[in-house]
Amino acid sequence: MAGLHQTLVDLANAMAASPLGPLTRSLLRNVRGFAPIIQTVHILSVAAVMGSVVLVDLRVLGLALPSQPASELTRRLMPWTWWALLSLATSGLISVFARPQRYLLNPVFGIKFSLLAPAIVLGVVFHRATAADARFWEHTPLRRLSARLIAGCSLILWVGVAMAGRWIAYADYLFPQ
Amino acid sequence: MSLSPFWAWLEALPLSTAIGESWWFPLLESLHVITATFVVGSILMVDLRLLGLAARQHPVGRITREVIPWTLTAFGLSAVTGVGMFLTRASHYIDNRAFQVKLVLLVLAGLNMAVFHLGTSRSMARWDSSSVTSAASRLAGASSLVLWVGVMLAGRWIGHLL
Repeated sequence: MAGLHQTLVDLANAMAASPLGPLTRSLLRNVRGFAPIIQTVHILSVAAVMGSVVLVDLRVLGLALPSQPASELTRRLMPWTWWALLSLATSGLISVFARPQRYLLNPVFGIKFSLLAPAIVLGVVFHRATAADARFWEHTPLRRLSARLIAGCSLILWVGVAMAGRWIAYADYLFPQ
Repeated sequence: MSLSPFWAWLEALPLSTAIGESWWFPLLESLHVITATFVVGSILMVDLRLLGLAARQHPVGRITREVIPWTLTAFGLSAVTGVGMFLTRASHYIDNRAFQVKLVLLVLAGLNMAVFHLGTSRSMARWDSSSVTSAASRLAGASSLVLWVGVMLAGRWIGHLL
């Protein structure tokens, strides 16, 4: 853990010292509304995640959109998730470059990314399997069960990512200094 | 007539101070954000369908019937958690320009939805399964998108003015 902490400290220092550090800091300080606008882009991208992968998860679990086949919904909505992730990464990186110490050394930020990584892996696995065969997850009982397990985990992970994201600002409540 | 004594009374309620002085506030705030993103993410599908930009092979009526209950449930939870946060500093929020803009946009989004469901959607039989909906429906979809983006932006701006 000490090694990881030092790596993050070094990374934060490198980000702050890189050209993007002063650039994003100056945008945040001098452009009126820059912070809320970037944060809104981030939150609207989370909305796209809710309306794509999370909706697919709810469909696979049999809870929502009964008239739209899960296979079709997956192929139609998952690309939205990947575009949303690009927008999330861009808006997120702007915030992190402006104040890398605040984020990289924040334990809740660590929790957020520990939840995000498996959420993305599950999404990729689930989506890719349907690339060649749209009904891949429907052929055998084992696959149907796996699809439901993946959907359940994915749903919990994405809600956890969004939750942790908001709690980054409140890390002191969870980890008193 | 000034309502300021009322906002002050709200702030002084035991419930308000309990929320404001504990981890209840960040908990309500995070639930507020999650349910709000779900409101927007779900209504996005309806709006894009009305605009003829997504799910064109699915009838509009069936999509709205299946999606809107989720949207309304999420909105209800968002409203409850929002009121919980509002209580803690009611008189500040009421004077907060971003909060005022957000409330106006929310009312407009509600009216837009009411007009669609009570009026525009009456002619749905003519365009329900067609990829191109009526002009009024496309206007409703576009207005909804703009209004909800505005609600999110104004909502996020509130904390920058406190």
